[in-house]
Amino acid sequence: MSGKAHFWIILFAALLIVCAAAFLVLSNRGFGGTVAKIYSGGELIDAVDLRSVAVAYEIVVETEMGVNTILVEPGQISVRSADCPDQLCVRQAPVSDSVVPIVCLPHRLVISVEG
Amino acid sequence: MKTKRLVMMGILSSMALVIFVAEAQIPVIIPIPGIKLGLANVITLVSMSLLGRRDAACILAVRVTLGSVFTGSASAFIFSAAGGVLAYAAMALTIRRFPEKMLWVVSILGAVAHIAGQLAAALYITAAPGIFYYGLILIPAAIVTGAFTGLCAGYLIRPLRRLLDNR
Repeated sequence: MSGKAHFWIILFAALLIVCAAAFLVLSNRGFGGTVAKIYSGGELIDAVDLRSVAVAYEIVVETEMGVNTILVEPGQISVRSADCPDQLCVRQAPVSDSVVPIVCLPHRLVISVEG
Repeated sequence: MKTKRLVMMGILSSMALVIFVAEAQIPVIIPIPGIKLGLANVITLVSMSLLGRRDAACILAVRVTLGSVFTGSASAFIFSAAGGVLAYAAMALTIRRFPEKMLWVVSILGAVAHIAGQLAAALYITAAPGIFYYGLILIPAAIVTGAFTGLCAGYLIRPLRRLLDNR
C-alpha cells in the first residue's frame, strides 16, 4: 500500500477514535433536564416533570394542522402516533434529557426537555 | 446527448432512488428526526466517476426531489437535500485529486460531508445545540459507511464503464 493511502487510513482512524471517545466521555457525564415542555405552534401548551410520572399516560395534541399522540412514561417522553405524512416524530427515539427535542415539523409541535 | 449516456443516467437515477427509499426504512437509533445513513451517495460517486460532475449533479437533483415525493415528506426533502448537496460538493472538489484506486477516500469525505449537511439541517429545524453531541458518534458512523460505499462504488464502476464505452 502506498504512503498516501497510509496517510488517509491513519487520519480517518484517528478521527474515528477521537470522536467516539469524546462521545463516550460526554455520555457518561450526562445531560440535565427533567421537565418536558410541549410547544404547539411556538406556544407552550403543557409541561410535565418526567421524574414525577408513575404511570404512563397519553396526551393528545390536536390542531388544525393535525393530531399527535404523545406518550408520557416515567423518565421519558415520545410521540406514539401522528397523522403527519413523514412520521419522523413517531420514528424518533424517546427523549429523556435536554440533548435534542422531538419535532413534528408539519404540525409545528416541539417536545423539549428543559431545566 | 448520446442515447446510451441518457439511458445510463436513467438507470443510475433509479438505482439512487431505490437505495434512498430502502434506506429510509432503516430505523436509525439517533433521536434526530430524519437522519439517514447516506448510502445513496454511492450513486453520486459512481456517476461522477463515469459521467462527470455535471451529469452527477442532475442525478442527485432527481434523487433528492423524487425521493422526497416517494417517501412523502417535505422534512425529508430538507435533510436529503442538505446532506446530498454537501456530499456532492465534497466529492466534486476532491475526486480529481485521487487516483481511482483511492476513491474510497473521496467516498469517506463525501459521507462525512453528508452527515455534516444533515446536522446543519437538524440544527436549523430544532435549534438545539445538543445536536453536536450526536454528531460525535455520527462522524465515526459516516467514516464506516463512507468506506463501505466507496468499496461498493469500486465494484460498480468497472462493469458500468465497460457498458458505457464498448457496446
